[in-house]
Amino acid sequence: MAATPAHRLLRLSATALVAAGLWFGLAVTASAEDPSAAPGASASASASASASAVGSVVASPGASPSAEPLVSAPPVPSPIAHPPAGDTNGCFDCHSAVNDKQAEISAAWETSVHAAADVGCADCHGGDPRSDQITVGMSTEAGFLGSPDRTQTVGVCGSCHANVEVMRPYNLPTDQYVKYWSSVHGQRLAIANDTRVAVCTDCHGSHDVRKTSDPNAKVFPLNVPELCAGCHADAKRMEPYGIPTDQFEIYSGSVHGKALLEEQDVRAPSCASCHGSHDAKPPRATEVVEVCGKCHTATQELYEQSRHAQLEQAAPKCWTCHGTHDVSPPGSRLFFHPETPDYECSTCHDLANRTLRLEIDRFANEADRRCDTCHHPDSQIYAQVQGIADALGGAEGAYAAAGLRIEDAARLGMITADAEVGLAQARTSLIQAQAAVHTTKLKLVSDLSTDARIKADEAQAMAIAKVDESTFRRQAMIVVLALIALSVVFLVVIKRQLDRELEGR
Amino acid sequence: MEPAPVPAADATVTRHSRRRFLRWLGGLTVVSTIAMVTTPILGFLVPAKSGRTAAGGKTLVGTTADIPPGGGKVVAMGSTPAIVVNTEQGLRAYSAICTHLGCVVAWNDLIGAIQCPCHDGRFNPASGAVISGPPPAPLPPLNVSVEGDQIFLSEA
Amino acid sequence: MATEQATGGSPRRTARWLDDRTRLGPVLAAMLHVRIPMTARTFYFGGIALFLFGIQVVTGTLLALYYKPTPEAAYESVQFITSDVSFGWLIRSLHHWAANLMILFVVLHLLRVFFQAAYKFPREVTWVVGCGLLLLTLGFGFTGYLLPWDQRAYWATVVGTEIAGGVPVIGDSLLLLLRGGSDVSGATMSRFFGIHVLVLPLALGGLLAAHLVLVHQLGLANPKKPEPRVRTAEADDEPLRPFFPHYILDEVVAWYVLLAVLVVLASLYPAGLEEPANILDAGHPKPEWYYLAVYEMLKFLPKDIGILAPIVGLGVVIVWPFLDRSPEVLARRRKVVVGGATLIVLALVFLTWRGYVA
Repeated sequence: MAATPAHRLLRLSATALVAAGLWFGLAVTASAEDPSAAPGASASASASASASAVGSVVASPGASPSAEPLVSAPPVPSPIAHPPAGDTNGCFDCHSAVNDKQAEISAAWETSVHAAADVGCADCHGGDPRSDQITVGMSTEAGFLGSPDRTQTVGVCGSCHANVEVMRPYNLPTDQYVKYWSSVHGQRLAIANDTRVAVCTDCHGSHDVRKTSDPNAKVFPLNVPELCAGCHADAKRMEPYGIPTDQFEIYSGSVHGKALLEEQDVRAPSCASCHGSHDAKPPRATEVVEVCGKCHTATQELYEQSRHAQLEQAAPKCWTCHGTHDVSPPGSRLFFHPETPDYECSTCHDLANRTLRLEIDRFANEADRRCDTCHHPDSQIYAQVQGIADALGGAEGAYAAAGLRIEDAARLGMITADAEVGLAQARTSLIQAQAAVHTTKLKLVSDLSTDARIKADEAQAMAIAKVDESTFRRQAMIVVLALIALSVVFLVVIKRQLDRELEGR
Repeated sequence: MEPAPVPAADATVTRHSRRRFLRWLGGLTVVSTIAMVTTPILGFLVPAKSGRTAAGGKTLVGTTADIPPGGGKVVAMGSTPAIVVNTEQGLRAYSAICTHLGCVVAWNDLIGAIQCPCHDGRFNPASGAVISGPPPAPLPPLNVSVEGDQIFLSEA
Repeated sequence: MATEQATGGSPRRTARWLDDRTRLGPVLAAMLHVRIPMTARTFYFGGIALFLFGIQVVTGTLLALYYKPTPEAAYESVQFITSDVSFGWLIRSLHHWAANLMILFVVLHLLRVFFQAAYKFPREVTWVVGCGLLLLTLGFGFTGYLLPWDQRAYWATVVGTEIAGGVPVIGDSLLLLLRGGSDVSGATMSRFFGIHVLVLPLALGGLLAAHLVLVHQLGLANPKKPEPRVRTAEADDEPLRPFFPHYILDEVVAWYVLLAVLVVLASLYPAGLEEPANILDAGHPKPEWYYLAVYEMLKFLPKDIGILAPIVGLGVVIVWPFLDRSPEVLARRRKVVVGGATLIVLALVFLTWRGYVA
């Protein structure tokens, strides 16, 4: 029974070899427009001969295929049969006492979500849980299987977890099994029988399986980046695949990484948010807008209205300007290089058929993710970008100035609540203007910017009035102090007169 | 009155001008003190120059005709913006300041929800709870009361 | 008085005209006579506290014209007073600063009387009444602090009533009584407002009148020698300083100086307003400065002792004239008392400072 999936896998990988060669060709071509694949692309190309020779079909897992996976999921095995345990648990009784290692395993299982759901040892290992005799409980006659090997693991888990009837009471999805086989991990396991790839237990644990909502689970959202990095940041482990290992480090410094790891905001994206979890695979160029737009809904809507979005093959996408793992806070720096870059016709044009093209490699470096990487200073569009940058710059300046003025007024002890409401209104327009850059429409950006500037100026005027009021109060204070001083002088003079009279008496 | 140490013609003149100066100073003391005390008090009693005759408590923000069922509107509650929505559960009002970055939210007729134009944060009109998007917290509710067809808001 | 000197006969004529028709001259003359030994040094602390109370009555009355004592409206109405009503900022800032200074000067007055041993025979009752005035002043501070209903006000009151709730045996009932419920709420605000504008002013007015009558009847103490138990001719020969106009004039100069201080404070550091009270966000769990010493002490001492110590301490202060029965008034002859009190004052100042910077 246990041998069946392994045999099937071998057969599948053998039949897949021919098709995989074709797939690899596609992958290398696709990498041209796929930044995540860019660093690995040359490595995979040079290693292609030896890679295919040893059957390592996908030399660079990052080079995601643009076609559907060639190997579909094997059928779901049926659950491991064993006699019902009833109230007894012979396995646990012995193993929790036999030695430290076994006791640890037993304890891990006892606290797991499986123990709570009455999923016992025999459900994964087979055997007869009723018996406390090793010769009976762990005999092959009783169906004992030992530890499932890595090729069997997915099937063992899937035998229950892909079963709708079994999973219903737990309200758990049952598509992980299919998804897993579609992932880069699953495909390598299926095609190349590569047991170094992640299987269920690598992320979920084996005996100590915990819920995703359990903060101690390795798959708890805040723990996911470190979980993936456990393998993907390991240079030695990733060496055969020729993919980079610095994603975790880069991600940790990104807005997303900071939000998740530093601010502990579980809503912030981890690796799985963009790559998928069970179906882990780098998003393709055709998918990236949807992937980012899953959270950045307003931005996606604006981008879809833009000229950029209509360019198809040559379209700049989210990652062209914002990067992938290294997304940093946007700002006016994204408009232009400090110094005009070198242009060649081939930068943006396919000279052979005179069409536009976009080389994603040119945007690998953050300093090159600029509008003028493509738009030449002599072009009409460049002037439009300048218009957008200027409109936005004016609004941002007015907003910052109003903010400073309000701070001044507050420091003087003035109540600035109304000016702050004005500033909030300016901020609303300003953020809309900034977001409108994604539409590439000068008029829209400049209208919203003007609106933001007017509101910011109003808020600033309110703040200035307060600062002036405070200045007036201080001047009035000096006048009042002078009058009080005169009164005191008068009273002191009178008093000295009285004192002299008193002494005279 | 004053002890006159050296009786001389000069001294009489000095004493005279000194007395005049003192009298002037005394008058100034009395007048300035009265002015200093009464000006703020009288100024304070004059009704405030701004349109608000009184602040706090209930603020009139419009009439029921302004907000048809299934509609919503941003209104000024004193100096702060508020949003009034006409839901199936009745009129509801919330602070219109988004809990994400402090933008002013708006009513979106198409989706039938309160929406922040900055980052598409959406709020349930019946409860103020976050439906989707980046806002970390619901919109703080305000009290709504209707007298005749007039809608009044007050702090919850 | 002063103007009369400068302007000559006309006011004097008016006075005579009035006196002919009221016959209040002798009453006034009696009122304006207070025995003040030449050696008396009051530093005008008591008079200044009286002046500040006057400011509080005037500014408080004005504020009550706009203020709305409900949790829904209080914050907005204070904001309205401060930013919309003309001179509203000034009236409110004066009320704010005069409140702080009043507590300061009442305490200074108490310390002056203590160190000069002016509480001894025959002024024991004056001292007890004065202690009552101090308690009422602190009550004013405590109840008034909540009224703006901003974050600082709300949380200071939560902490303050919490301390009162820690009093052994009666704590829970006291907490309930103070808050008018289990939490600081609209009920708390109603009762604090009522206490602040009705109960305390009436009580303070009554006690103040008693205090002043006693001062008037007994005159000021001589810090150089004890008051004789039996009036002798020698004692009556003591050189005196006229209360009117000499002493009064000094007092008025001090008031003007205080007025100047108030104007400077109100102009440069106007009373602010934080975010509206938010019961979900404990932003400022810190009481006003004059409660900081007690608050800080609670961090070092067990709760019961930390709360009982100030109460017992206050009790001892109130009955001190009956505990300290030696007639000596000179500091060098009452080294233990003066030294001990100095140490306690320094400790309280230190605790307040620690609480302030914490």
